[in-house]
Amino acid sequence: MSGSPIIRAVGLGKAYGIHGSSWRRLQSLFVGGSERAEHWALRDVNFELGTGQCLGVVGHNGAGKSTLLKLIAGTRRPSTGRRARRGRLTAILELGAGFHPEFTGRQNLYFGGALIGIAEAQMHRIEEETIAFAELEDAIDRPVKTYSSGMTVRLAFALVTAVEPELLVIDEALAVGDQHFQRKCLERIDAFRKKGCTILFCSHSLYHVRQLCDVALWVDKGRMRGCGPTENVLAAYETHVRNLNAADHVEGVADPYVVSGEVPRRAASSARLLAVDVAGLGEGDPPVLRTEDFVVRVTAEVPGGECPSLAVMLERADKVCITAVGTHADGVVPLRLGEDKWQATVPFPRLPLYSGEYTVSDFLLDASGTLVYEQWIDCQRFMIVYPTLEVGLVRLPHKWS
Amino acid sequence: MRANCVKTDRMHSLPAQVAEIWRLRALLLMMTSREVLARVKGTALGLIWLYAQPLLMVAAYYLVFAVVFKARLGDDAPTHSLGVYLVVGMVPWIAFSDAVSRAMASLVEAGNLLQKNALAPALFPARMVAASAVTYLPLIAGLALIAAAVNGFSLVLLWLPLLFAVQLLLAFLLGYALAILAAAMRDMLQLAVFLLSLGVFASPILFTVSMIPGEFRWLIWLNPMSPAILAYQTVLLTGQMPALETWAALGAWLAGLALFLNRLIGRSGEHLVDWL
Repeated sequence: MSGSPIIRAVGLGKAYGIHGSSWRRLQSLFVGGSERAEHWALRDVNFELGTGQCLGVVGHNGAGKSTLLKLIAGTRRPSTGRRARRGRLTAILELGAGFHPEFTGRQNLYFGGALIGIAEAQMHRIEEETIAFAELEDAIDRPVKTYSSGMTVRLAFALVTAVEPELLVIDEALAVGDQHFQRKCLERIDAFRKKGCTILFCSHSLYHVRQLCDVALWVDKGRMRGCGPTENVLAAYETHVRNLNAADHVEGVADPYVVSGEVPRRAASSARLLAVDVAGLGEGDPPVLRTEDFVVRVTAEVPGGECPSLAVMLERADKVCITAVGTHADGVVPLRLGEDKWQATVPFPRLPLYSGEYTVSDFLLDASGTLVYEQWIDCQRFMIVYPTLEVGLVRLPHKWS
Repeated sequence: MRANCVKTDRMHSLPAQVAEIWRLRALLLMMTSREVLARVKGTALGLIWLYAQPLLMVAAYYLVFAVVFKARLGDDAPTHSLGVYLVVGMVPWIAFSDAVSRAMASLVEAGNLLQKNALAPALFPARMVAASAVTYLPLIAGLALIAAAVNGFSLVLLWLPLLFAVQLLLAFLLGYALAILAAAMRDMLQLAVFLLSLGVFASPILFTVSMIPGEFRWLIWLNPMSPAILAYQTVLLTGQMPALETWAALGAWLAGLALFLNRLIGRSGEHLVDWL
């Protein structure tokens, strides 16, 4: 970290009045005094980020992640504390707010640009490039009301990222448009990051936080539970989630790979999983694994000759993850079967698991492993029968002496 | 580059917000022109509607009172024709009423935008008042031209720009204050719409002040536009400078509304956007 921080939050807190009645609000305007029934969405958050750092904010739904992002982005004012920042800030909170359906894409570009601080003269210079990035050259002079939702979002994303910011705030906006455009979005964000842009990003996908962020912040019930190097914070968070899950089933807690909010798209032209085969399965429902080795073969189709990454996750039937491996993580390139077909086979020699039911999930990702094209969750179930007196999760190599 | 974002977390005073509007004047200009165009977007007559709307309204009043009823005013009135008297009072009043009613709804309307972009809330009522001025400045100028044609040009007409500026300021202060109240409680909008529709009777537009029974005359002064309307009538109909008392009354309204608004801004504080 060099120089003064790009963003510093000191004792940041936000209380929302629980306004059962608007009479209370009116009273607070005329008589003064704050409304007493307050809900602290966020309390006493402190952190600072230097140039080029990427902070991932994790926590349950309603923990205060969005409130934190809104305070940093400046769309909400804090009740306590303050935030100091320098440089240009771009917030990707909700794309397309402020577009007027009756005006053309170009008119909206200028107006939307003015709202986020891009002056007319500057917009004039970057107009063409922005339209090209949104791939709307043909539609730019049509009213926005004639656009599909994907086109609107593309225009909005191209606009907010048209000028390189010093600080980028992203609220789970990684799923923008179709697969092709999602890739472009991620590449642009990645390019910003490489040029030293500071990023603050909130996600349910711990996988993405691990992949993108060097620091993480865990908020729980409006308070900071941890802040520091990603792996340390996520380890603590995952332990917490596991304990909660053990106590009772909690909704909205992420699997390491599952990208929440993303609907797999199966357009004919898009990348998709074709088959997943587990070798050596016998009879029964679920089938019993007959072989000592556990071998999974994944086949996928990716148009345009792009090389994908294939990943396999093995879980116990009660959702305890045993392992998740990917070709990108191991530095392996899948086998190319034909023009668009790719295959990867991964053997787990002498699968060291105890008796029980297990599930396999498969993922098709881009080469960097950032973008999940398709996911087949629990696509294969199987049983392992291993008579032993030992108990546990996995059989570890051991030797008595 | 100058960012639009609110730089500090302490913006809870009227002077600070006015300074912010000034800093973002280029954006305000763009928002205003967009607002004006959006109002007539999709219509066949386009910008003509901006002017046709108030002109038709004034024409209807003129038809009823001056042509159908053939009403005449007494000797103490600035003019004997109620029709002329009515037009001179009505145009500024409609201008004011239009600006206030749009400004007071502006924050609630812009709720989604304000929650997604870090913008100064004051921009939104300011934009509505400015958009309203685009419609009514030419109409007031038209009145001045007619007055100059009928009575001959007089330097007194130069009071009109100041008068119009004061009227816009009044509309901004009142409209913004009502917008904050509406953010806290949506019912305020309904109430304000009703009061604005009464305003035409609580002002010297359809009758002169002397025609009102003495014990009800104070009601007129509850309307901040009453002194301004009197001033328009003095300038346009008698060719004289507005009375000092008129300026004093306007000054009192301006100061009072500014203090009230400043207090509302301070008290709503960081909650304003949360309420939208």
